[in-house]
Amino acid sequence: MAVLRTLLYLVVYPGLIFLFFYSTFCEWFDRKVYARLQNRMGPTHTGKFGLLQPIADFVKLLAKEDVVPEAADKGLFTVLPIVGLAIVSTAALLLPVWNFDLSAPGMTSFSGDIIVVLYLLSLPTLILFLAAWSSTNLFSTIGGTRVLTMLFGYEVPLFLSVLSPAILANSWRLAQIAAFYQRRPLLILPNLLGFLIAVVAVQAKLERTPFDIPHAETEIVGGTFTEYSGKKLALFRLMMDIELVVSSGLLAAVFLGGFPGGALLGFVSFAIKTLFVIFLLALLRAMTSRIRIDQVITLAWRYLAPLAVLQLLIVILLKGFLS
Amino acid sequence: MKIAAFLPELVRHLFKKPATVDYPFKKLEVPEHFRGTPFLRPERCIVCRACERDCPAEAIEIATVNEAEKTFRMVIHNDRCIHCAQCVDSCPTDPKAMDMDILFEIADFDRHKLKKDWVYARAVIKPKPAPPKAPAPEAAPKP
Amino acid sequence: MKFQIPIGPQHPALKEPISLRMTVEGEIIRDADIRLGYNHRGVEKLAEERNWTQNIYLTERICGICSHSHTTCYVQGVEKLMELAPPRRGLYIRYLVGELERVHSHLLWLGVAGHEAGFDSFFMYVWRDREIVMDLLEMISGNRVHYAINAIGGVRRDIDDALTAKILEGIATLKKRSEYYLQLGANEPSFVARLAGVGKLPKERAIALCAVGPTTRASGVAIDVRKDDPYAVYDELDFKVATADTCDVLGRVVVRVLEVFESYKMIEQMLHSLPDGPVAVKAPRKAKPNEVVSRYEAPRGENIHYIKSNGSDKPERLKVRAPTLGNYPATVEMLKNGFIADIPLIFAAIDPCICCAERAVTLVNARNGEESITSFGDLRRRALAGHHNAPLKGNAVWPF
Repeated sequence: MAVLRTLLYLVVYPGLIFLFFYSTFCEWFDRKVYARLQNRMGPTHTGKFGLLQPIADFVKLLAKEDVVPEAADKGLFTVLPIVGLAIVSTAALLLPVWNFDLSAPGMTSFSGDIIVVLYLLSLPTLILFLAAWSSTNLFSTIGGTRVLTMLFGYEVPLFLSVLSPAILANSWRLAQIAAFYQRRPLLILPNLLGFLIAVVAVQAKLERTPFDIPHAETEIVGGTFTEYSGKKLALFRLMMDIELVVSSGLLAAVFLGGFPGGALLGFVSFAIKTLFVIFLLALLRAMTSRIRIDQVITLAWRYLAPLAVLQLLIVILLKGFLS
Repeated sequence: MKIAAFLPELVRHLFKKPATVDYPFKKLEVPEHFRGTPFLRPERCIVCRACERDCPAEAIEIATVNEAEKTFRMVIHNDRCIHCAQCVDSCPTDPKAMDMDILFEIADFDRHKLKKDWVYARAVIKPKPAPPKAPAPEAAPKP
Repeated sequence: MKFQIPIGPQHPALKEPISLRMTVEGEIIRDADIRLGYNHRGVEKLAEERNWTQNIYLTERICGICSHSHTTCYVQGVEKLMELAPPRRGLYIRYLVGELERVHSHLLWLGVAGHEAGFDSFFMYVWRDREIVMDLLEMISGNRVHYAINAIGGVRRDIDDALTAKILEGIATLKKRSEYYLQLGANEPSFVARLAGVGKLPKERAIALCAVGPTTRASGVAIDVRKDDPYAVYDELDFKVATADTCDVLGRVVVRVLEVFESYKMIEQMLHSLPDGPVAVKAPRKAKPNEVVSRYEAPRGENIHYIKSNGSDKPERLKVRAPTLGNYPATVEMLKNGFIADIPLIFAAIDPCICCAERAVTLVNARNGEESITSFGDLRRRALAGHHNAPLKGNAVWPF
């Protein structure tokens, strides 16, 4: 019975099949909101309202020719998209959607799983760097160095701001943090500054404007993805989509009070809260222009990190005040 | 604050209709005198060949079909045409024999289908009828 | 460690093929090598085989964005050769379309600058408003691009009162939107941070390298053919030459937006004082042997056409000096000591119209890679010898 349940978690919900369809839906939502902000239509004709557009893009890429450069490290080049996809799907399993029993920690929800999720979300950056390095293309190399340079900027503010609500809730387990904020919703408000910092840092992690310098289309052709085509590119794009879902799920679980209510209601609240975070990310993307890599580091260390420390301070003071 | 200067305008657009026209399901109206494709009114053509000489893309071809009956064949190669309407301007007849219509969705898979031709007899410009002579003033009736 | 990055000929930053080979050290550019010729179409040779009227359409197709400036420059020169005096109304309409084209070109450039900087929302908004100008041009001339409104001796079409009212209405809407864009461009922090201090060109270097157009006006050099050498209607209009002092890409943005406002003023003045009368005089088919140099202030700078006639109905020689060609040496100067991330912006800031500037041809021997530059006469002799001195055919030979 337990084996069947685990298999259900892994494959159907919140596993691979659910992730595939939900991440393509989130990509559709992001593209539609971005387009409407710019007075355009967005995907419209594939399926009703264009809902099938990201799936159509995925299927189209699967059918294209897969070219591996001669000088590239073939083993590394081929295996990296699959490894990346596996990493983000594992991170998605750890989100507290229906797959946990609050009283007893299990395989998908245990003390310290917030750290595991953050760690698993940092790995795709390394995967992208290795993908760029193994491509042996000039543009990819520049893209890869930029990806790592950006990592030095946004990781610290992201960790500090995500761990602040955990400190207030006195637990390192996502399900317990979510349950804490469901019991006392007013305590979400002191964490608002952390929420905004986390949204900006997640935008940088996902390499979207204003932080899309690693794959800046108008400068270095494709950055990390320059040499990727066909199935490998399809898997990389799916990886970026699932990373979007996982990051917004993490932010929703920690800052917005989780997904209460069992299977059905939990799914509805998961959808609403993650779509809200994705709406904020799309708004940020439409509002700004791309900034240079040195400006990213300046922004991160001059503004984001001190504000994250400030948020931590607020949380520590509040905790002392409450107890 | 400055960074949110753009935000109100952006959010306002969420509630406006998109500026995109959903072509090909909805079409735009082209203005009058839009330069679409050229065509001939054969009953007015006097075969002066000014259009053939002035076409920048060599898209008009006039050939003699029958010398005695003065019939000619004009082929307009719409695949070579650059839609400049110089043929209309060069045409000396009044009213003009060459004209432009507003068709622009003329794409086809086979370029030979885009050629149009007319076989016609050369128009003869009739001299304008002389204005009727004023009637002779009636002799005043003798009292 | 220095290595060479090739930007182009195919690159997403470029709209047209050009090869910029940058020598970089880390993220800083040390040197740039520009190679042209990927878009060479032999326009100057083609012009010798077409008569004066057909050449209007050929010169128009040298470029899509500044098409009217090439036709006008050519037609101005030919009218001088044929000693024609076009009527005032025709001249007003011709330069009205020229100012509308300047508006459309600068709005296009503003959108592209936003896109190169990653500011896609700005790009979409500016291009949506540019549709107003395109619709106006379509109503005046019958086509959105390649207006073909010029004829030798005047213009081909007239504008009536209803159209004048529509143009004024469109310009009023655009003025409001342009004020918003000026305010936005100057205030959006990430956009300004990208553009300020990038691509510096000091005033003396701009003059020494013969830069033209908004590129040099942003360095404080106030040259504008419409003021220095007023032709046709420009000495009757009241406008200022827009300059800026910052010598960088932000200055170029400011100069172009100010020029757009000056163009709105000029369009309104021209429409309110439009003289009556015919719009064209009849032009002869042949021109007496003579040579003429014609200058026009295109949206990108000074456009020069040199035309030589030999008494027949075809020109003897047409030479085009597009403004972008004059800006290339200044671009190399601007790229030095800049960041790689700024390459698209610096290059886009000169408003490159690469297809206008295709004149130099270097012959590269495919077998051993040796390069040589030959003179025009030598090249012509080689081409004729290659075709065994066959006479020029009257009809083009179509492959199918």
